[in-house]
Amino acid sequence: MSTTQVDNRGGRSARRIAVVGLGNVLLGDDGFGPLAVEMFRSLYECDSKVEILDLGTPGLDLAPYLYDADLVVIADAVHPREEEKPGTLFVYCDEDLASPQAQLRLTSHDPGVQESLAQLRLAGHAPSEVIVVGVVPESCNLGSGISLSVLNTCLVAVDTIARLLVERAIDCRRRHAPVQRNVWWLSGSA
Amino acid sequence: MARISIDPVTRIEGHLRIDVEVDGGKVQKAWASCTMWRGLETILRGRDAREGWVFAQRFCGVCTTVHAIASVRAVEDALQLEIPANAQYIRNLILIAHALHDHIIHFYQLSSLDWVDIATIPKADPARAASIAEGYSNWPGNSRRELEAVQSKVKGMVDSGQLGIFSHGYWGHSAMRLSPELNLILFAHYLQALEFQRKSCQIVGVLGGKTPHIQNLAVGGVMNAINLNSLATFNMDRLGMLQSLLQDLIPFVQQAFLVDACLLSASYPEWFHYGRGVTNYLAVPDLPTDAKATQFDLPGGLIMNGNLASVQPIQNWRDQAFRAAVAEDVTHAWYKGEGAQKPWQGETEPEYTDFQADKKYTWVKAPRYNGEPIQVGPLANVLVGYASGHALTRKWTDTAFQTISSVHDSGTPGFNLTPEALQSTMGRYLARAIRSAMLSDLALQHWQLLTDNILKGDDTTYNPPQFPSHECEGVGMHEAPRGALSHWVIIDKGAFTNYQAVVPTTWNASPRDEKGIPGPYETSLISNPVVDPVKPLEVLRTVHSFDPCMACACHTLDASGRSIARVKVL
Repeated sequence: MSTTQVDNRGGRSARRIAVVGLGNVLLGDDGFGPLAVEMFRSLYECDSKVEILDLGTPGLDLAPYLYDADLVVIADAVHPREEEKPGTLFVYCDEDLASPQAQLRLTSHDPGVQESLAQLRLAGHAPSEVIVVGVVPESCNLGSGISLSVLNTCLVAVDTIARLLVERAIDCRRRHAPVQRNVWWLSGSA
Repeated sequence: MARISIDPVTRIEGHLRIDVEVDGGKVQKAWASCTMWRGLETILRGRDAREGWVFAQRFCGVCTTVHAIASVRAVEDALQLEIPANAQYIRNLILIAHALHDHIIHFYQLSSLDWVDIATIPKADPARAASIAEGYSNWPGNSRRELEAVQSKVKGMVDSGQLGIFSHGYWGHSAMRLSPELNLILFAHYLQALEFQRKSCQIVGVLGGKTPHIQNLAVGGVMNAINLNSLATFNMDRLGMLQSLLQDLIPFVQQAFLVDACLLSASYPEWFHYGRGVTNYLAVPDLPTDAKATQFDLPGGLIMNGNLASVQPIQNWRDQAFRAAVAEDVTHAWYKGEGAQKPWQGETEPEYTDFQADKKYTWVKAPRYNGEPIQVGPLANVLVGYASGHALTRKWTDTAFQTISSVHDSGTPGFNLTPEALQSTMGRYLARAIRSAMLSDLALQHWQLLTDNILKGDDTTYNPPQFPSHECEGVGMHEAPRGALSHWVIIDKGAFTNYQAVVPTTWNASPRDEKGIPGPYETSLISNPVVDPVKPLEVLRTVHSFDPCMACACHTLDASGRSIARVKVL
């Protein structure tokens, strides 16, 4: 069946690139993904075909956002196979995600990522390339905020996302001055 | 007596564990245990009531908008704040698109593989499959070419031995009974469904600014600026785009999803005899058609003891009987205290004890309505509508019943389904499809209401809230995809002093209460067949019929407690 691509604002684009943050912002370091993409939006200016999306914890509802994309960069908290120090940064590419040996387990969002991709592949609408930029969390407790180790890595992760785009000839430049960040979940009472 | 413990690892947020005792091939006793603490409400205490919805939207990764809407409705109720008609319609359209998305993904991605055996698809005759499918429906995705393409993808997967995410299904289970052709038709729609999930997300995005976390809500209305002469605001272009997305989505719901649910119903008639469970049903009114929310397109009401001849209506969101009736019991839940409390007085103080079947065994509280357990969800929605004589509910229920009697081709005489028989495992699947067909009609109606109101010259979308200096309390209701949702708030000087969400899965996954009365999941499993304890497919069918916010990995234990099988279920 034919599809037309219409983004949230109704524009049409031939090529789609998505920078996606996964994680629950209420659960401490699990909110790494949403924080990373918001910092990326604040620090970098991209081609209009790059969508920056904080998707929370969508499970299988992730599929519509990956549908027919050319490139998807996912920022997420990860649990690698070996014990690693909190704040360690990992970059996984397609083969790591597809390989049964990889045993990659993303925080609470892994089955959603793997299964959404598998379904899209079968339906013929999988993204051409998927990269996961992951950080090892320190604490994922309710309302505990982002730990210092993850926060420090976050800036490196943001630069990594930018480099991945630039390497693929996608226009992405550091802003002269950052735009306002909206990280409402890290401020206020409670 | 075999004890089976199904301890799912969720694919989304929240974890559910089901324990059953099986004797003579049937479930004798059942326990539902949620293994993740749901204490998110505590994070809202002390917060500004105007921004509660932004946090509530993160309670669950899948039901984002439903918590956002219930939250603003609760604050508006506390303030007795009316919102403009445009705001009602825009919210309604978001809720409808979200619900259609949710129901489609449940039917195809989360539960169809409990009934559809993909391993038989290579044996199907695509020409015959196309002629079967075209006999029931005009859906363009049923062509022989389309079905051949799907079959060849599945063949490739089966031949390579790499079933991937499908490798843990119960393929070849004796309870799988569809012909290879029907399996092919349903799996083709499983793949096509992905495109329509995308369209429903786009509808939410057009209205809500972003998806899955909408940005346009406010206590007092919505923040969509309406100006037909401005390109930057909500204008005729935007309305036209919405209409065309709806017109793309609706045929899939009415010609594929509903028909597929009828095909399953006709092929597995015995599942209208299993899974009855708790027969008290609650639906809250939703989709208001006026600013003051006095008229609703989905009726609310209460049915007790499966008696469809008598519905106690819930006319509107200020219904006093509802407020007086709801309480949550923590006798068997990992919280301090015993007995029941009103949500406004509710506490969420954890007291974890490990799984103790006779004592505390879950993180889910037991909500009760005048002391009785209640089943919520699309089935409650459809039964309340049908029993109240609601025309739209009757139209689509009767359409489904007619389809089922015409597609029944398994050699036995066609069967005529009754609303009473919907009170079952298969009835819950069918009701979800019926509700989706209803919502697809309502989507265009509410699009028309919005368009007409804007063309009349009304561009208001927001009434600013005024917070009194005294304490006030409110309830926000929403008939969500999984059933009746209510947020209960107490506000003092503009900030929350208490916040409790009584969510659909809490009603349905409820544990036993003070009197030892089990909840809907637990009751529905009694007498459920289990042919093979190592592959408890039949248990999953009934559990999945409620659309729990998760899929599962099953650890099947033998009587000695040794793990004899570990099966990941799709």
